[in-house]
Amino acid sequence: VAQVPVAEGKSVQQTVEMLTRKLELLGAEKQGTFCVDCETYHTAASTMGNQGQTGKLMYVMHNSEYPLSCFALFENGPCLIADANFDILMVKLKGFFQNAKANKIESRGTRYQYCDFLVKVGTVTMGPSARGISVEVEYCPCVIANDCWNLLMEFMQSFMGSHTPGIPSVFGTKHDSIYSPADTMVQYMELFNKIRKQQQVPVAGIR
Amino acid sequence: KGQQASPFVLRARRSMDKSGMPWHLRYLGQPEIGDKNRHALVRNCVDIATSDNLTDFLVEMGFRMDHEFVAKGHVFRKGIMKIVVYKIFRILMPGNTDSIEPLSLSYLVELNVVAPAGQDVVSDDMRNFAEQLKPLVHLEKIDPKRLM
Repeated sequence: VAQVPVAEGKSVQQTVEMLTRKLELLGAEKQGTFCVDCETYHTAASTMGNQGQTGKLMYVMHNSEYPLSCFALFENGPCLIADANFDILMVKLKGFFQNAKANKIESRGTRYQYCDFLVKVGTVTMGPSARGISVEVEYCPCVIANDCWNLLMEFMQSFMGSHTPGIPSVFGTKHDSIYSPADTMVQYMELFNKIRKQQQVPVAGIR
Repeated sequence: KGQQASPFVLRARRSMDKSGMPWHLRYLGQPEIGDKNRHALVRNCVDIATSDNLTDFLVEMGFRMDHEFVAKGHVFRKGIMKIVVYKIFRILMPGNTDSIEPLSLSYLVELNVVAPAGQDVVSDDMRNFAEQLKPLVHLEKIDPKRLM
Protein backbone atom coordinates (compact mmCIF):
# COMPACT_ATOMS: atom_id res chain seq x y z
CA VAL A 1 0.00 0.00 0.00
CA ALA A 2 1.54 3.30 -1.01
CA GLN A 3 0.69 6.94 -1.25
CA VAL A 4 0.93 8.74 -4.58
CA PRO A 5 1.33 12.50 -4.33
CA VAL A 6 -1.10 14.74 -6.15
CA ALA A 7 0.41 15.80 -9.52
CA GLU A 8 1.73 19.34 -9.78
CA GLY A 9 -1.06 21.71 -10.73
CA LYS A 10 -3.70 18.96 -10.76
CA SER A 11 -6.46 17.97 -8.38
CA VAL A 12 -6.76 14.69 -6.49
CA GLN A 13 -9.39 13.48 -8.92
CA GLN A 14 -7.28 14.36 -11.97
CA THR A 15 -4.27 12.53 -10.57
CA VAL A 16 -6.40 9.45 -9.86
CA GLU A 17 -7.63 9.58 -13.47
CA MET A 18 -4.06 9.79 -14.77
CA LEU A 19 -3.17 6.66 -12.81
CA THR A 20 -6.23 4.69 -13.84
CA ARG A 21 -5.74 5.65 -17.48
CA LYS A 22 -2.18 4.30 -17.36
CA LEU A 23 -3.49 1.05 -15.86
CA GLU A 24 -6.15 0.70 -18.55
CA LEU A 25 -3.54 1.31 -21.28
CA LEU A 26 -1.47 -1.51 -19.79
CA GLY A 27 -4.49 -3.74 -20.20
CA ALA A 28 -5.86 -3.83 -16.67
CA GLU A 29 -9.58 -4.54 -16.36
CA LYS A 30 -11.96 -2.78 -14.02
CA GLN A 31 -13.40 -5.13 -11.45
CA GLY A 32 -15.76 -3.21 -9.25
CA THR A 33 -14.97 -0.82 -6.46
CA PHE A 34 -13.30 -1.03 -3.08
CA CYS A 35 -13.36 0.77 0.23
CA VAL A 36 -11.05 0.71 3.23
CA ASP A 37 -12.02 2.76 6.25
CA CYS A 38 -10.49 3.54 9.60
CA GLU A 39 -12.09 4.81 12.80
CA THR A 40 -10.15 6.02 15.79
CA TYR A 41 -10.99 5.23 19.41
CA HIS A 42 -9.23 6.55 22.44
CA THR A 43 -9.35 5.31 25.99
CA ALA A 44 -11.83 7.44 27.93
CA ALA A 45 -10.37 9.73 30.58
CA SER A 46 -12.24 7.93 33.37
CA THR A 47 -10.38 4.67 32.80
CA MET A 48 -6.86 6.01 32.55
CA GLY A 49 -6.18 6.50 36.25
CA ASN A 50 -6.94 2.87 37.12
CA GLN A 51 -4.66 1.39 34.50
CA GLY A 52 -1.61 3.53 35.01
CA GLN A 53 -1.19 3.75 31.23
CA THR A 54 -1.25 6.82 29.05
CA GLY A 55 -4.26 7.14 26.79
CA LYS A 56 -4.06 4.79 23.83
CA LEU A 57 -5.34 5.04 20.31
CA MET A 58 -7.07 2.03 18.86
CA TYR A 59 -7.97 1.84 15.19
CA VAL A 60 -10.95 -0.13 13.96
CA MET A 61 -10.80 -0.74 10.23
CA HIS A 62 -12.86 -2.38 7.53
CA ASN A 63 -11.88 -3.58 4.07
CA SER A 64 -14.43 -4.38 1.39
CA GLU A 65 -12.15 -7.22 0.25
CA TYR A 66 -13.05 -8.96 3.53
CA PRO A 67 -16.66 -7.88 3.98
CA LEU A 68 -17.42 -10.05 7.02
CA SER A 69 -14.38 -8.95 9.00
CA CYS A 70 -13.33 -6.13 11.20
CA PHE A 71 -9.69 -5.28 11.99
CA ALA A 72 -8.73 -3.71 15.31
CA LEU A 73 -5.19 -2.51 15.84
CA PHE A 74 -2.82 -0.47 17.94
CA GLU A 75 0.12 1.36 16.38
CA ASN A 76 3.21 -0.86 16.94
CA GLY A 77 0.86 -3.32 18.62
CA PRO A 78 -1.18 -6.38 17.76
CA CYS A 79 -3.80 -6.45 15.03
CA LEU A 80 -6.91 -8.44 15.85
CA ILE A 81 -9.00 -9.91 13.04
CA ALA A 82 -12.60 -10.32 14.17
CA ASP A 83 -16.02 -10.72 12.63
CA ALA A 84 -18.37 -7.80 12.09
CA ASN A 85 -19.86 -8.10 15.60
CA PHE A 86 -16.73 -6.39 16.91
CA ASP A 87 -18.35 -3.08 15.90
CA ILE A 88 -21.29 -3.91 18.18
CA LEU A 89 -18.89 -4.66 21.02
CA MET A 90 -17.31 -1.23 20.58
CA VAL A 91 -20.76 0.30 21.10
CA LYS A 92 -21.05 -1.63 24.40
CA LEU A 93 -17.59 -0.39 25.35
CA LYS A 94 -18.35 3.27 24.72
CA GLY A 95 -17.88 4.10 28.39
CA PHE A 96 -14.25 3.03 28.06
CA PHE A 97 -13.40 3.82 24.44
CA GLN A 98 -14.55 6.95 22.74
CA ASN A 99 -14.98 7.14 18.99
CA ALA A 100 -13.24 10.22 17.63
CA LYS A 101 -15.75 10.53 14.81
CA ALA A 102 -13.99 13.50 13.20
CA ASN A 103 -10.92 11.31 12.63
CA LYS A 104 -12.70 8.77 10.44
CA ILE A 105 -10.74 8.37 7.24
CA GLU A 106 -11.37 6.20 4.21
CA SER A 107 -10.06 5.32 0.79
CA ARG A 108 -12.49 4.55 -2.00
CA GLY A 109 -11.94 3.79 -5.63
CA THR A 110 -11.77 1.27 -8.43
CA ARG A 111 -10.40 -2.24 -8.36
CA TYR A 112 -8.34 -3.35 -11.34
CA GLN A 113 -7.09 -6.78 -12.29
CA TYR A 114 -4.00 -7.21 -14.46
CA CYS A 115 -3.03 -10.86 -14.91
CA ASP A 116 -2.15 -12.02 -11.38
CA PHE A 117 -2.09 -8.52 -9.93
CA LEU A 118 -4.87 -6.68 -8.15
CA VAL A 119 -4.56 -2.89 -8.09
CA LYS A 120 -6.75 -0.55 -6.10
CA VAL A 121 -6.47 3.20 -6.67
CA GLY A 122 -8.33 5.13 -4.03
CA THR A 123 -9.17 8.70 -3.11
CA VAL A 124 -8.49 9.17 0.58
CA THR A 125 -11.11 11.35 2.24
CA MET A 126 -11.68 12.69 5.72
CA GLY A 127 -15.21 13.94 6.03
CA PRO A 128 -16.05 15.88 2.90
CA SER A 129 -12.49 16.67 1.84
CA ALA A 130 -10.17 14.65 -0.39
CA ARG A 131 -6.81 14.43 1.33
CA GLY A 132 -4.70 12.19 -0.90
CA ILE A 133 -4.35 9.09 -3.03
CA SER A 134 -3.65 5.50 -2.05
CA VAL A 135 -2.52 2.71 -4.35
CA GLU A 136 -2.67 -0.90 -3.22
CA VAL A 137 -0.93 -3.52 -5.34
CA GLU A 138 -1.30 -7.21 -4.63
CA TYR A 139 0.45 -10.10 -6.33
CA CYS A 140 -2.15 -12.79 -5.69
CA PRO A 141 -0.34 -16.12 -6.20
CA CYS A 142 2.36 -15.42 -3.62
CA VAL A 143 1.93 -15.71 0.16
CA ILE A 144 5.50 -14.95 1.25
CA ALA A 145 5.93 -11.18 0.93
CA ASN A 146 9.67 -11.04 0.51
CA ASP A 147 9.61 -13.61 -2.31
CA CYS A 148 7.73 -11.30 -4.67
CA TRP A 149 8.85 -7.83 -3.67
CA ASN A 150 11.05 -7.40 -6.74
CA LEU A 151 8.21 -8.44 -9.04
CA LEU A 152 5.80 -6.06 -7.29
CA MET A 153 8.29 -3.23 -7.62
CA GLU A 154 8.81 -3.88 -11.34
CA PHE A 155 5.05 -3.91 -11.94
CA MET A 156 4.51 -0.71 -9.93
CA GLN A 157 7.21 1.08 -11.92
CA SER A 158 5.24 0.43 -15.11
CA PHE A 159 2.42 2.74 -14.01
CA MET A 160 3.70 4.61 -10.94
CA GLY A 161 7.13 5.53 -12.32
CA SER A 162 9.13 7.52 -9.83
CA HIS A 163 6.37 7.28 -7.23
CA THR A 164 7.06 3.58 -6.75
CA PRO A 165 7.50 3.12 -3.01
CA GLY A 166 10.30 1.41 -1.15
CA ILE A 167 9.78 -1.92 0.61
CA PRO A 168 7.03 -1.59 3.26
CA SER A 169 8.19 -1.85 6.86
CA VAL A 170 5.79 -4.77 7.55
CA PHE A 171 7.71 -6.87 5.00
CA GLY A 172 10.86 -6.42 7.06
CA THR A 173 9.40 -8.03 10.15
CA LYS A 174 7.67 -10.85 8.27
CA HIS A 175 10.84 -12.66 7.10
CA ASP A 176 9.38 -15.86 5.63
CA SER A 177 6.10 -16.04 7.46
CA ILE A 178 2.84 -16.06 5.54
CA TYR A 179 1.40 -12.72 4.55
CA SER A 180 -1.94 -11.92 6.14
CA PRO A 181 -4.73 -9.37 5.53
CA ALA A 182 -3.68 -7.81 8.85
CA ASP A 183 -0.38 -6.81 7.19
CA THR A 184 -2.35 -4.90 4.54
CA MET A 185 -4.41 -3.14 7.22
CA VAL A 186 -1.26 -2.05 9.09
CA GLN A 187 -0.02 -0.45 5.87
CA TYR A 188 -3.30 1.39 5.36
CA MET A 189 -3.21 2.57 8.98
CA GLU A 190 0.30 3.97 8.49
CA LEU A 191 -0.75 5.65 5.24
CA PHE A 192 -3.86 7.16 6.83
CA ASN A 193 -1.84 8.45 9.79
CA LYS A 194 0.65 10.06 7.43
CA ILE A 195 -2.13 11.70 5.41
CA ARG A 196 -3.86 12.99 8.57
CA LYS A 197 -0.66 14.77 9.57
CA GLN A 198 -0.12 16.27 6.11
CA GLN A 199 -1.50 19.64 5.25
CA GLN A 200 -4.82 19.65 3.50
CA VAL A 201 -4.56 19.39 -0.30
CA PRO A 202 -4.91 23.00 -1.42
CA VAL A 203 -8.22 23.74 -3.07
CA ALA A 204 -7.85 24.96 -6.63
CA GLY A 205 -9.08 28.51 -6.68
CA ILE A 206 -8.28 32.07 -5.82
CA ARG A 207 -7.18 32.86 -2.27
CA LYS B 1 -12.54 -1.23 35.44
CA GLY B 2 -14.05 2.19 35.01
CA GLN B 3 -15.60 4.52 37.51
CA GLN B 4 -18.68 2.30 37.70
CA ALA B 5 -19.07 -0.32 40.43
CA SER B 6 -19.32 -3.31 38.14
CA PRO B 7 -16.34 -4.08 35.91
CA PHE B 8 -16.80 -4.75 32.22
CA VAL B 9 -16.40 -8.47 31.70
CA LEU B 10 -15.48 -10.27 28.49
CA ARG B 11 -15.06 -13.98 28.04
CA ALA B 12 -12.46 -15.43 25.66
CA ARG B 13 -12.65 -19.06 24.68
CA ARG B 14 -10.70 -21.35 22.39
CA SER B 15 -10.88 -24.95 21.33
CA MET B 16 -8.14 -27.18 22.70
CA ASP B 17 -8.88 -30.17 20.55
CA LYS B 18 -9.49 -28.57 17.15
CA SER B 19 -6.55 -26.62 15.80
CA GLY B 20 -6.96 -23.58 13.56
CA MET B 21 -10.43 -22.65 14.79
CA PRO B 22 -11.08 -18.99 15.57
CA TRP B 23 -11.14 -17.88 19.17
CA HIS B 24 -14.50 -16.86 20.57
CA LEU B 25 -15.10 -13.61 22.40
CA ARG B 26 -18.35 -13.07 24.26
CA TYR B 27 -19.91 -10.15 26.03
CA LEU B 28 -22.81 -10.89 28.40
CA GLY B 29 -24.84 -7.98 29.70
CA GLN B 30 -26.68 -7.63 32.95
CA PRO B 31 -29.75 -9.83 33.49
CA GLU B 32 -32.78 -8.22 31.90
CA ILE B 33 -35.49 -6.52 33.95
CA GLY B 34 -38.62 -8.58 34.45
CA ASP B 35 -36.34 -11.52 34.83
CA LYS B 36 -37.87 -12.76 38.08
CA ASN B 37 -40.87 -14.24 36.31
CA ARG B 38 -38.89 -16.02 33.65
CA HIS B 39 -37.72 -19.57 34.09
CA ALA B 40 -34.31 -18.87 32.64
CA LEU B 41 -31.70 -16.17 33.04
CA VAL B 42 -31.82 -13.77 30.10
CA ARG B 43 -28.90 -11.57 29.15
CA ASN B 44 -27.88 -9.49 26.17
CA CYS B 45 -25.15 -11.33 24.29
CA VAL B 46 -22.59 -10.34 21.66
CA ASP B 47 -20.51 -13.14 20.14
CA ILE B 48 -17.40 -12.38 18.11
CA ALA B 49 -15.06 -14.80 16.34
CA THR B 50 -11.46 -13.61 16.39
CA SER B 51 -7.89 -14.41 15.39
CA ASP B 52 -5.69 -16.22 17.87
CA ASN B 53 -3.95 -13.13 19.29
CA LEU B 54 -7.10 -12.27 21.25
CA THR B 55 -5.60 -12.35 24.75
CA ASP B 56 -2.65 -10.12 23.76
CA PHE B 57 -5.08 -7.73 22.16
CA LEU B 58 -7.38 -7.59 25.19
CA VAL B 59 -4.42 -6.76 27.42
CA GLU B 60 -3.40 -4.01 24.99
CA MET B 61 -6.95 -2.65 25.26
CA GLY B 62 -6.55 -2.44 29.01
CA PHE B 63 -8.26 -5.62 30.16
CA ARG B 64 -6.62 -7.86 32.68
CA MET B 65 -7.22 -11.57 33.13
CA ASP B 66 -9.46 -12.39 36.03
CA HIS B 67 -9.45 -16.15 35.84
CA GLU B 68 -9.00 -18.99 33.39
CA PHE B 69 -10.01 -22.63 33.33
CA VAL B 70 -10.24 -25.63 31.07
CA ALA B 71 -13.56 -27.33 30.39
CA LYS B 72 -13.79 -30.82 28.96
CA GLY B 73 -16.94 -32.69 28.24
CA HIS B 74 -19.76 -33.16 25.78
CA VAL B 75 -22.07 -30.91 23.84
CA PHE B 76 -25.64 -31.91 23.01
CA ARG B 77 -28.18 -30.05 20.94
CA LYS B 78 -31.97 -30.07 20.82
CA GLY B 79 -33.17 -27.52 18.28
CA ILE B 80 -31.63 -24.24 19.37
CA MET B 81 -31.00 -25.48 22.91
CA LYS B 82 -27.47 -26.41 23.76
CA ILE B 83 -26.71 -28.68 26.70
CA VAL B 84 -23.12 -28.92 27.83
CA VAL B 85 -21.97 -31.56 30.32
CA TYR B 86 -18.44 -30.80 31.43
CA LYS B 87 -15.79 -30.96 34.10
CA ILE B 88 -13.94 -27.84 35.09
CA PHE B 89 -10.17 -28.04 35.47
CA ARG B 90 -8.01 -25.64 37.39
CA ILE B 91 -4.90 -24.44 35.53
CA LEU B 92 -1.91 -24.86 37.82
CA MET B 93 0.44 -22.47 36.04
CA PRO B 94 -1.10 -19.41 34.32
CA GLY B 95 -1.28 -19.87 30.56
CA ASN B 96 -0.10 -23.50 30.68
CA THR B 97 -2.93 -25.83 29.71
CA ASP B 98 -0.79 -28.96 29.93
CA SER B 99 -0.79 -28.95 33.71
CA ILE B 100 -4.37 -29.02 34.97
CA GLU B 101 -6.34 -30.67 37.74
CA PRO B 102 -10.09 -31.20 38.08
CA LEU B 103 -11.86 -28.73 40.33
CA SER B 104 -14.17 -31.50 41.53
CA LEU B 105 -15.20 -35.01 40.52
CA SER B 106 -18.64 -33.76 39.46
CA TYR B 107 -19.79 -32.68 36.05
CA LEU B 108 -21.50 -29.36 35.53
CA VAL B 109 -24.63 -29.40 33.35
CA GLU B 110 -25.47 -26.19 31.57
CA LEU B 111 -28.47 -25.51 29.36
CA ASN B 112 -28.31 -22.39 27.24
CA VAL B 113 -29.83 -20.88 24.15
CA VAL B 114 -28.77 -17.98 21.97
CA ALA B 115 -31.90 -16.47 20.46
CA PRO B 116 -32.98 -13.16 18.93
CA ALA B 117 -34.03 -10.52 21.45
CA GLY B 118 -37.56 -10.70 22.78
CA GLN B 119 -38.17 -14.41 22.25
CA ASP B 120 -39.08 -15.02 25.87
CA VAL B 121 -41.06 -18.16 25.08
CA VAL B 122 -37.71 -19.92 24.68
CA SER B 123 -37.36 -19.96 28.47
CA ASP B 124 -40.54 -22.07 28.70
CA ASP B 125 -39.02 -24.63 26.30
CA MET B 126 -35.92 -24.67 28.47
CA ARG B 127 -37.96 -25.26 31.63
CA ASN B 128 -39.85 -28.09 29.95
CA PHE B 129 -36.60 -29.73 28.91
CA ALA B 130 -35.08 -29.22 32.34
CA GLU B 131 -38.08 -31.02 33.91
CA GLN B 132 -37.24 -34.11 31.86
CA LEU B 133 -33.76 -34.31 33.35
CA LYS B 134 -35.10 -34.65 36.91
CA PRO B 135 -34.27 -36.38 39.23
CA LEU B 136 -30.88 -37.06 37.59
CA VAL B 137 -30.11 -33.34 37.28
CA HIS B 138 -31.84 -30.37 38.90
CA LEU B 139 -31.30 -27.42 36.60
CA GLU B 140 -31.80 -24.09 38.35
CA LYS B 141 -31.81 -20.54 37.19
CA ILE B 142 -28.66 -18.92 38.58
CA ASP B 143 -28.29 -15.42 39.94
CA PRO B 144 -25.01 -14.08 38.48
CA LYS B 145 -24.80 -11.36 41.14
CA ARG B 146 -24.27 -14.02 43.78
CA LEU B 147 -21.22 -15.24 41.90
CA MET B 148 -19.49 -11.94 41.06
